[in-house]
Amino acid sequence: MSHHPTGSTARRRIAVTLSALVLIVGLFVVKLVDIQVVRADTLNAQSLGNRSVEDTLYGARGDILAADGTMLAGAVMRYDVTLSPKNAAPWKRTVNGTETTVTVAQAAGEIGAIVGQSQDHVLGIISGALADNPESDFAYVAKQVDVDAFRALDKLDIPWLYFKAHPSRVYPNGAVAGNLVGFVSSSGAAQAGLELGQDACLAGHDGTAVYERGGDGVPIPGSSVTTKPAEDGGDVLTTVDSDLQWYVQETLAAQAKATGAAWGTVVVQEAKTGKLLAVADYPTVDPNNVGASDAEDRGSRAFTASFEPGSTFKALTAASVIDAGKAEPTSQVVAPYRYLPPNGANINDSEFHPNENLTLTGVLIESSNTGMSKFGERLTDKARFDYMKKFGVGTESEVHFPSEDPGILHPYQDWDAQTKYATTFGQGLTTTAIQIASIYQTIANHGVRMPVQLVEGCRAPDGTVTEVPNQKGARVISESAAKKTSQMLENVYGHAWLRDVWKIPGYRVASKTGTAQMPDGHGGYSHGYLVSVSGYAPADDPEFVVSVSLADPVKMNSSAASAPIFQKVMSQVLKKYRAVPSGSAPPVLPATW
Amino acid sequence: MSDNLARVMRPSWLGAEAPVEPERRHIEIVTAKQQRRSRPRVMYAVTAVAGIGAIVVAQLLLSVGISQGAYTISTLEAQKVELGRTAASINEDLVRLSSPQSLAANAAALGMVTNANPVYLRLSDGKVLGAPAAAQGDGAAALVPNSLLTGVAKPQPKAAPVASPVAPAAAGAEGGLPSPSTR
Repeated sequence: MSHHPTGSTARRRIAVTLSALVLIVGLFVVKLVDIQVVRADTLNAQSLGNRSVEDTLYGARGDILAADGTMLAGAVMRYDVTLSPKNAAPWKRTVNGTETTVTVAQAAGEIGAIVGQSQDHVLGIISGALADNPESDFAYVAKQVDVDAFRALDKLDIPWLYFKAHPSRVYPNGAVAGNLVGFVSSSGAAQAGLELGQDACLAGHDGTAVYERGGDGVPIPGSSVTTKPAEDGGDVLTTVDSDLQWYVQETLAAQAKATGAAWGTVVVQEAKTGKLLAVADYPTVDPNNVGASDAEDRGSRAFTASFEPGSTFKALTAASVIDAGKAEPTSQVVAPYRYLPPNGANINDSEFHPNENLTLTGVLIESSNTGMSKFGERLTDKARFDYMKKFGVGTESEVHFPSEDPGILHPYQDWDAQTKYATTFGQGLTTTAIQIASIYQTIANHGVRMPVQLVEGCRAPDGTVTEVPNQKGARVISESAAKKTSQMLENVYGHAWLRDVWKIPGYRVASKTGTAQMPDGHGGYSHGYLVSVSGYAPADDPEFVVSVSLADPVKMNSSAASAPIFQKVMSQVLKKYRAVPSGSAPPVLPATW
Repeated sequence: MSDNLARVMRPSWLGAEAPVEPERRHIEIVTAKQQRRSRPRVMYAVTAVAGIGAIVVAQLLLSVGISQGAYTISTLEAQKVELGRTAASINEDLVRLSSPQSLAANAAALGMVTNANPVYLRLSDGKVLGAPAAAQGDGAAALVPNSLLTGVAKPQPKAAPVASPVAPAAAGAEGGLPSPSTR
């Protein structure tokens, strides 16, 4: 007999079953909607967080390059080595197929051999950390080890040894241009020199990438997303010639040590373009080992230490007087030992001598303060002040080196009676070595002052060069005034008392000495002198300016201390750049009348 | 009712209608060929299942291939990192050895001395411009330090530098340009 369940009890059973089914399905739907729609985002993020890994993409810091492409500063990776003391335990290592147990002491010995510490020292690190905190999970073994040491340590496969990579800096040439390049702190922050001044160009920007990782650490294909691309920093191209810089630093250091100088600087500048080929300081810093130098020696005194220039400044006064038409190289004046002008000042020369009949040329050759004062007073204070300003005195140079000193030049209205005359021969105002070089560059370049330039530009990773400094010159004195001053300076080179010390055979050279009293810090002058020699060559078509300054050379307290440096450096520069030896003889101007 | 006729007794709860007899239809026995044709084709089923199987297998193989590719990429990237480190290490050695301090130390060890005196030989007429002077061995210690070179073996200087001969007159230049004797 067939059964067709259509009775009321059958229907009830169907209804009950169906409603139970609907209820269960409804529960599932609710749960499904809850997971897939309501809480979808939080759950997704959680799951991603569990298996996604954030990776820092390092943006490399740019290099600092010399004019010939030599790397003065470069980016490298260094590694900090740390270990987990609480996990320091023996483990098994497979060597040649056989499994051996490596004890902590043995591992410590292996680590120590690579980083240069004794086994006991490494064990001491572990025990010391555990003594402080038995749960200690972190202790430094060595900081900033290089790639070779890192790879050797990695090969040891010690499970409780960890590494952290840091981008760091290396300075392959050591102390060469160390004063200019500067250095960075251990955390990579720029602290001095071009590293600091050009940080905007050099600094790279780190990026981040997020990828999802499977259980064995392999990235899941197609899951890597670069959330921010890394940007490498740009390279700074300098005008410095690294070989010449090294030679100049060696020469300066040797002579400064021999004469017992407190400090010294040498500036080599191209006369036609204003570019700095070498700026040497003594004492100077090796950026690889900053701690070895005193804090005051870690910068560049050529830029940051201004001093009273003394007689090398007379060239500026002479050029100003000639340009204003108030004198000629053959103009005559009587130079006494002591000059007492009506306004109450008291000027005297360095050595007692009877009254001398000197031309302007003779004043420069003899370096007579009284003679210079007499010529200087032919110009008004304002006129002389304006010339000084145009020559760049009292203003920071165009390099804008970190902590650069603009020098002290008081407004002419504030000049007292003594300062009025002292400023004609370089006392009563201060300049830096760079500013003195710039004055001679102006005279050498036919009266046109070129901006002082240390940086050629910032080269981005794609090759475009930006931030090229302004290279437009400004005329300070007329070409004829510059020519006449140059001829006078050639006569100084040929006839001054140091003529045998600084002789460079085959070339016409123009130069001037300076022996300036140094301030004692209490408003007066001390017994120390700042001796300097500045000049340029070849004088018939000047190409290079060299300015040497030595502070307080106790063993030889005159310009004779710096003259040998000038001779050696100028010879080297002329030789290196193959300057054609001068074909003509220098003009002879009368020194006396 | 009391007669002797057989009657089909229907239960009363079924209702009073009498079952309707199905109409007699013409029934034939289907031929074997028609029987076979009307049965669902095995080929279609086999093809469909095989197709699905092939797709699934292909998908599996592709995903295995991709995953394998990810492992290869991972290995190659690790290699790239290692090679990059080798390059960096060698580059550091190179720039350290090309530093002027290193070159000067090696030159001094060979007995070379510096000579800052510029003298030129003009090849057009063999004239010597400038005043030649023998280089004096200054023997100065290296005064510009490079702490990267500490730990690098210093080159041993030779016993005594041979005094360089004065007047570097062009040997072999007979009145004209010095010509090399090559064959």
